[in-house]
Order: sequence, then C-alpha cells, then structure tokens
Amino acid sequence: MSSARLLKNLVLSLVGIAGASALAGAQTATQTVTFAVNAINQVSITGAPSLTITTAVAGSQPTSVTDASSIWAVTTNQTGAKVSANITTGGAMPAGLTLKVNLTTPGAPAVSNGQVTLGLAALDLVTGITKTAVGSLSATYQLDATAAAGVVTSSTRVVTYTLSGGT
Amino acid sequence: MLTAVLPVGLGRTAAAQVATVITSGNPAAMTISTAVAGSQPTNVSNSATTYSTLNLQGGQPQKITARLSANMPAGVTLTASLAVNASATSVGAVSLDVTARNVVININADQVARTITYQLSALASAGVIASQTRTVTFTISDYP
Repeated sequence: MSSARLLKNLVLSLVGIAGASALAGAQTATQTVTFAVNAINQVSITGAPSLTITTAVAGSQPTSVTDASSIWAVTTNQTGAKVSANITTGGAMPAGLTLKVNLTTPGAPAVSNGQVTLGLAALDLVTGITKTAVGSLSATYQLDATAAAGVVTSSTRVVTYTLSGGT
Repeated sequence: MLTAVLPVGLGRTAAAQVATVITSGNPAAMTISTAVAGSQPTNVSNSATTYSTLNLQGGQPQKITARLSANMPAGVTLTASLAVNASATSVGAVSLDVTARNVVININADQVARTITYQLSALASAGVIASQTRTVTFTISDYP
C-alpha cells in the first residue's frame, strides 16, 4: 500500500471515530437518592363543646343533651391503629353524670365503638384504622344525668385522644 | 510522521466539544416522618446538590433527561426540579421513574452549579417504607 493510500485510510478511520463520538453525543451523570417513610400516626380534634342539661319529661330522668360541633381527623400509614380517649384534667365526672363521646369512623376497615363513656382510664373509640388520611369527621358528645346528681355548677374536663397500636 | 499527528488532533477537538453534565454529589437521605392529622404525610425536599454542564459553546441546543434505576414504591413519588439560567428552560418538578424524562430543555449555554431540588412525597396508603436507594441518571443530548 502506498504512503498516500495509507494516509487516506488513516484519516478516514479517525474521522469515523470522531463522527461516532458526536453521534453517541449523549453523556450521563448519576446521583444516588436514599429515601424512607417512617411510621406516622397523627390525630387531632377541634371544638369546645358545651353541654347543659336543663329539662326533663316529668317522671323521667333529666333529658340528655348532645353537642356535635367538634370534628376530628386522623392520618396513619400503619395497619390496625386505634383511637382511645380519657379524661386527663378535671377528674372523674360527678356522681350521677355521664359524659360520652361517639367518633365517626374514617372508613373501612376501621370500626367505631359508638358511644363510649369517658373516664380516667383510656378506652378505645375507633379501631382498625389502616393507612388512611381523613379529616372533618364528626365527634358527638352526650351528657347524661340522673335526678340524684342534683344541680351541678359549670365545670370542665379535658379529654385526651390518642392514636396508637398500628403495625 | 507529521501526517499522522494531524488527524489525532482533529479527534481531540471533536471530543472536547461533546456536551457534558456533572453533579456535585449525592443528596442526603430523605425521610418522611410526620403529617398533619387528616392530611397525607408531609413532603420532604432536598436542594443541597447541583449540576453543571460543560462544553456548550453555541450551536446545537441540548437537553437533560432524568430517569431512575427502578420505579418508586406504590404511593411514593420522587420529583426532581433543575434550576437554570436564562439560556435554558427548566421543565419544573418532574416525577421520576424508569423512563427518561426531560428536566431541562433548550440549553444554549453552560449551566454552572445550578440547584437540583428533589421532593419526596408519600400517600398514607404507601405504608411504612424501609430505607431504599435509587440511582438517578441525568443524560445530556441534543435538543429537541
């Protein structure tokens, strides 16, 4: 092969390499992203319910009153969480008075236990709450009294709600 | 001997003009750990890393795509938003998956140390997700 032919082949070959590089064009860079989602359990309730018993049907116990002005909300990314509640400030209810609360379920598979009498010990209100985020759920309080309770002046109780138990 | 040097020089010139994208490192781990009751878990973001492009000297505009090494778990979303200067267009926050998706387009001049913002979001239905990693591959190539 002549020197001229060899040079021509060499030039074509190298130009070919340069052309391939330009066509290949795309060039990359990488990053590694690490992520996780922890267990999340949040419950809230808003409202300042006020209940006053003022009347009765003659021959019956005083007429119970209800207050549905409170709403509650829940977010959990676990399975089988539950909401419990108890009176944490103000002490137990006076003798003859009963304070109950009923939380609406946030949806299946959760189940509401309906009206639950509040006391110093925590009791389950809603169970089976699973991987959900729901707000604007109703919370209805009911106050019952027997005639034997007599007249009770205004007092307050703080009710604490706890979301727990999921896996 | 002289004739052999000339084409090698051409080869170097062509290689030096290939547009390149580089990143500043890996973002810190992102962990979702809280929520407002009644709302989905609170998103987390990271804007601590940057990217730069090299060798854009006019001519053919470039674009950058991004893709993941594997899809995110169900109910979990990772977005990336790449900041730009006036010589390029950012697509904004782009949900990442295994398909290469445009994140910056019509790049006409080098981008230097522009912020990469990652955002991690999750639905409550996603449940608890143990720590995982994904490789994000940024590719620069001719636009469009």
